[in-house]
Amino acid sequence: MKTPSMLSPRTLSRRDLLAASGQGFGLLALGSLLQSEVLQAAASGEGRAPMRAPRAKRVVQLFMAGAASHIDLFDYKPALIKHHGEPSDFGEAVEAFQNGLGPWKKPVWDFKAYGGSGKMLSEVVAPLGACVDDMAFVHNLVGKTGVHSQGTLLQATGFNLPGFPGMGSWVSYGLGSLSENLPSFVVLPDHRGFASNGPKNWDAAFLPSQHAGTIIYPGAEVPIADLYPHKAGSYVSAKSESAGQDLLTRLNRQHAALHGGDPRLDSRIRSYELAAKMQLAAPEALDISGEPERIKEMYGIQEHRKVWPTEINPAEEADCMGRKCLTARRLLERGVRFVQIWSGNDNGFPRRNWDSHEDVERDHGPLAWGMAKAVSALILDLKQRGLLEDTLILWTTEFGRMPSTQGGSGRDHNPYCFTNWLCGGGIQGGVTYGESDQWGYKPLDRDHPTQVYDIHATMLHLLGIDHERLTVRHNGIDRRLTDVHGHVVRELLT
Amino acid sequence: MTLLPQRPSILALVFLSGVGLSAAATPTPVDFVREVRPILEKHCYDCHGPEKQKSGYRLDLKQIALHEGDNHAPNIVPGASTRSPLVRFITGAESKMMMPPVKSSVPKLTSTDLDTLKRWIDEGAVWPEGVDVAKTEDRMDWWAFKPLQQVAAADLPTTSETLDTFIQRALASKGLTQASLADRRTLIRRLSYDLAGLPPSSEELAAFLQDPDSDARAYERLVDRLLASPRYGERWARHWLDVVHYGETHGYDKDKPRNNAWPYRDYVIRAFNEDRPYARFAEEQIAGDVLFPGTRDGMEALGFIAAGPWDLIGHAEVPESKIDGKIARHLDRDDMVQNTLGTFMSLTVGCAQCHNHKFDPITQEDYYSLQAVFAALDRADKKYYTDPVLTRKRTELEYQQRQLSDRQKKLEKSLQDKAGPELATLDGKITEARKATKGNASPKFGYHSALAATRDEVKWVQVDLGRAVAVDRVVVAPCYDDFNGIGAGFGFPVRYRVEVSDDPAFAAGQVKAAVHRDAEDQPRPGTALQTLKLESAQGRYVRFTATRLAERKQDYMLALAELQVLDEQGNNLATGGTVTSRDVIEAPPRWARVNLIDGVAPGFEPGNESRLLADLEAQRKSLLAKHAKPEDLKELEVTREKVERINRELSAMPAPQVVYAGTVHYGSGTFTGTGPSGGKPRPIALLKRGDVKTPDKLMAPGGIAAFDALAGQFACANANDEGARRVALAQWITSRDNPLFWRSMVNRVWQYHFGRGLVDTPNDFGRMGGTPSHPELLDWLARAFRDDLQGSVKSLHKLIVMSRTYRQLSDAAPQVAERAATVDADNRLLWRQNRRKLEAEAVRDAILSVSGRLDLTMGGPSFQDFVIEKPEHSPHYQYHLHDPNDPRSHRRSIYRFIVRSQQQPFMTVLDCADPSMRVDRRNESLSPLQALAMLNNGLTVAMAEHFAKRLEQEASDPEQQMQRAMSLALGREATGEEVTALVAHAAQHGLANTCRLILNLNEFTFVD
Repeated sequence: MKTPSMLSPRTLSRRDLLAASGQGFGLLALGSLLQSEVLQAAASGEGRAPMRAPRAKRVVQLFMAGAASHIDLFDYKPALIKHHGEPSDFGEAVEAFQNGLGPWKKPVWDFKAYGGSGKMLSEVVAPLGACVDDMAFVHNLVGKTGVHSQGTLLQATGFNLPGFPGMGSWVSYGLGSLSENLPSFVVLPDHRGFASNGPKNWDAAFLPSQHAGTIIYPGAEVPIADLYPHKAGSYVSAKSESAGQDLLTRLNRQHAALHGGDPRLDSRIRSYELAAKMQLAAPEALDISGEPERIKEMYGIQEHRKVWPTEINPAEEADCMGRKCLTARRLLERGVRFVQIWSGNDNGFPRRNWDSHEDVERDHGPLAWGMAKAVSALILDLKQRGLLEDTLILWTTEFGRMPSTQGGSGRDHNPYCFTNWLCGGGIQGGVTYGESDQWGYKPLDRDHPTQVYDIHATMLHLLGIDHERLTVRHNGIDRRLTDVHGHVVRELLT
Repeated sequence: MTLLPQRPSILALVFLSGVGLSAAATPTPVDFVREVRPILEKHCYDCHGPEKQKSGYRLDLKQIALHEGDNHAPNIVPGASTRSPLVRFITGAESKMMMPPVKSSVPKLTSTDLDTLKRWIDEGAVWPEGVDVAKTEDRMDWWAFKPLQQVAAADLPTTSETLDTFIQRALASKGLTQASLADRRTLIRRLSYDLAGLPPSSEELAAFLQDPDSDARAYERLVDRLLASPRYGERWARHWLDVVHYGETHGYDKDKPRNNAWPYRDYVIRAFNEDRPYARFAEEQIAGDVLFPGTRDGMEALGFIAAGPWDLIGHAEVPESKIDGKIARHLDRDDMVQNTLGTFMSLTVGCAQCHNHKFDPITQEDYYSLQAVFAALDRADKKYYTDPVLTRKRTELEYQQRQLSDRQKKLEKSLQDKAGPELATLDGKITEARKATKGNASPKFGYHSALAATRDEVKWVQVDLGRAVAVDRVVVAPCYDDFNGIGAGFGFPVRYRVEVSDDPAFAAGQVKAAVHRDAEDQPRPGTALQTLKLESAQGRYVRFTATRLAERKQDYMLALAELQVLDEQGNNLATGGTVTSRDVIEAPPRWARVNLIDGVAPGFEPGNESRLLADLEAQRKSLLAKHAKPEDLKELEVTREKVERINRELSAMPAPQVVYAGTVHYGSGTFTGTGPSGGKPRPIALLKRGDVKTPDKLMAPGGIAAFDALAGQFACANANDEGARRVALAQWITSRDNPLFWRSMVNRVWQYHFGRGLVDTPNDFGRMGGTPSHPELLDWLARAFRDDLQGSVKSLHKLIVMSRTYRQLSDAAPQVAERAATVDADNRLLWRQNRRKLEAEAVRDAILSVSGRLDLTMGGPSFQDFVIEKPEHSPHYQYHLHDPNDPRSHRRSIYRFIVRSQQQPFMTVLDCADPSMRVDRRNESLSPLQALAMLNNGLTVAMAEHFAKRLEQEASDPEQQMQRAMSLALGREATGEEVTALVAHAAQHGLANTCRLILNLNEFTFVD
């Protein structure tokens, strides 16, 4: 049995200590219950001291669903240009998901150098060139399988099977919220549908349910589930609502007074007060109409445009990604701890995701340009507001794509190598760490790849959390985001 | 101290002699404690010491350092540093295994350190006895693995009073006492939610409050009534479904519905309601099909094995031969193993898939032996009948069908192989010719008989020419129909004859002339016209009789496009005649008797290559006959007939029931399962580090070897009999001598009655789990459950809920609470009952019940409170499109369709169990999002209005309405002050708003 001081980054509360003086039952299980009782996620500052001074307070995770091609966007491979069209030879037997092992295929777009660091970027992500000196690239990420669902879960939760909390849930659990009026972990899904596994990617799993990602659809009629009374409740008015809340609180207080010593009764009363505040705070946070035109333009938002072509196109992609990124900035400003933005839906057709088995140019082109336009705006905007220095941004995807072609225009899955980049709080800009081999097929140093655990450990480190110590016991195992792995990648830090 | 290694190797001797020659003096041997251990402490203990034992290896214990470790044992080879894996790792000879790891913050070894370690090993790795600081622990030395203890004062009666004495003794030792007994109002609300998951109705409440009998007797009757209620099974099945992580979609990507999962849910409800003895309950779920063959429960219970998630892409789109396919199947079996051992034995065996369990006596061998139990299974739909005779019949027929079809395919393949490329060429031509054969120019296809179950049923069709005439020849034209891909020659018989007679009945002896093509099978004619020349025939009636029918689709029939009766000049005498037949399907315009003489047939169309096709078919037949042995042809024929017979029998059977279960799967394509290979279990290798790319030795089915009260290795008479493997596991688990099995269940039941188990980690009784708060009580309960109560869960409930411990108030007297705050603040010792927050299902069911909308229909397919969009790929489960007033969704929550990827938002925010996780205990959270859901979700908002309507119907004046509301929602009378406030609120804002408020009261959600 571990000693209480090792259990979690939380400061032990009086109740924890009382519990510890009991008969050695699962301390953490109680710990998580207690958190809910005292509404830690909603009440800032209660009881969770980070292990060390944090470099970042907030996180934005950008997830490209379907597996974005590192080779066509960020990982420049001159050898592929040189050997384009030649039969691919990987030097070993390769197992590809759909056996897409045609000839070498050069990047679909040209690359050129950007910024003081001279980082080579594909022209399809050119808008990111303006931020490149704040970004740090990792080109030797490896996954475990080439199956979307497992790969997505692995990047999102650290495990390749369902049933584990999302990274944002861990951060929310570990650090709580910076605002009591908004959820601590917000998810902005692709408006066309969920990626593989849907909400399992941002689930609270065995953490208390308030740490699950709260789905927000900016601009939708109901942006947050149950924020307002369901339309069946036409009998509810603003006046009845306020009078009802008052009477509810009064009756609840009378009841609690009769049963002194049960803190849950008071907590529940408080949760209704916070709910009322959230009803006011959320619409204000989501309303982008007051943003200056130049800001909207910068994000690629065409606010009043209603009609778009039926074919996938860059302007529309920039608009929808831009809305999410601008919303993210507004949420971060108002104290949301973790925002997860998704680009790409499930694997239906026509493709609106990054799974370009058939045609990289057709799908990646609009998606990547729209993403780059919106994300570069987010970075620059955060920077000009002084928020970038303590906001950590991670760009990721479930795996990469093969340097060989599938059917001439497409690329098959490559779980053996892909790219992540990070930016902001505590990240050293203009750095490239961990190279891929000459084809972008596997890490150059195959014995020392970077894994999702390392990225997660690094991020938690920057948030002031030791990834080995943020644990919760579940079914007999002290679970953590990084399973039993993970090393902080110090080369990425300032 | 020995100078030479104890087990000298040649290498070591050479090394030592070398040293001896070059050094002036014999060097002092390396001292372990002074020189070696400090190096290990500094560089290795962080990961291989007292705190962590990565790869099951530690360097602070002699036994493990020299002999053990998951992957490379022995890591130290005394006398041979170069052969010692440890040296290879610390010197970087294996870059993948560089120790300490490149990325770790532990300092690297210096070259002096390396030299010292090498020298120490080469000198024999002398590690004196008794210098280990740490001690290995006996992993079996843990409460949960010990036999059920008999309490010292034996023969305690199995009564609730005995239970109370255990509790009271523990309280007394801390100077605490129990709280007062709760009153009847509190008890009926508590017990109704506990046993039935619903609030008491007003009638039930009144009846109990007014029961003139003593409190004890009235309460006992209430307990008996609730245990006998069908609502009980619905309530407790939900607890069980949490534990086994039951869901009705696959999860992962392509989260498709499992439309046949619900029979397992109904089985669990039934088993609880029928008070199935617990051992049998477990056996049914693991091996019901084998242990209780032919029973409905034995089939439906197998839904347990398939309850958890399934990766459709990893199984159905990636073959088992690929790494991704292997990983998916490994994860799938892992889920079966963890679910079984976690559910029934409260063990966390999953840890042992990569390395021996770090805390519990579970080895990697044990783990893969358990995987071997499930090696033949997949998750799939399984067919069955409630009538066991039918199930057996279908199973046998399907078995024979598979065997014979396989045989038929083999015979055909062998014939084709013998006939060689010539046959392949011919088949190619036949395919081409079929394509070239034109179909019907007219929609009038021809005559079509009724369907026949056997091909040897005799069918006839005839033409009345009106008068007796001389007939020279008869021309018959085959049909064309793409049905079942048949095309040219559709329905044309294999054997047939043509007869002429003046007797419309064609009585024997009245036939004037005939042409027989019924002695042997005729080649398929395509659409080519068949001319039958008659010798000196005269008569009024011409009859075409089929004696062996053409196959359609697992059935047979006769079809003809045209029948011409020609005289010598070629005049068609049939024109204008009358067609009759033994039977017919009249489906004009295509199929009609009149079409037989309408002059329309594909064979009359110019350019049809039907003659060619017929020729080719004939060539094929003679080619096969030339190459094949007659006995093979005969066997093929007989086999075909048998398959046809079985198909007929199967199609004559009623449609079977289906349950999604753990089963031998007979699939095709990528997801074949083990069915095609006879259900033979897949070989299961121990996977080093849990990696499918590093398989080690093959494992036989078995349990956990260290539990020596139970036989660890399963004695299966036939290793390939997968059913026997599951039976062995089921019997191993349910053994009287398996303390984990019995303790696990009494602890779960206890938890659901008190909010917390005697052991508060119900899924983990291992060392990472908890210890019992009342060990003697736990073992006494487990023994009573096993022996006196014979595994009756209902009797166990009664034993618990009749106790004083259960019946006490959830608020203690102030002085007890004050004392308890210092010695037992979290009420482990039960100096009061625990106030319980209702689970998501109980909240939802209570809202429906209070509003008068609850539909108590039991069983059957689940209701769906979502709309499915885009079902073709990954279905979108759109909960917000559901109409909360749809009465189909007003059934109890146990009948809700449970989606894995997109969980129901309202239930989820109320901490509903996640069907992807094995949930032994619900989280209990409070958050603003939960408050918003309770206030604004369609369910509460719509039901509040129904609640209001109900009140208006059931009570006339506002005060009575409020009294009624509080009685329904809270099970108590409203105070005068409450009534005044609520009535005023209703008057101003409407009753629906007031009802919505009542549903949001703390008191509605908490149960004392």
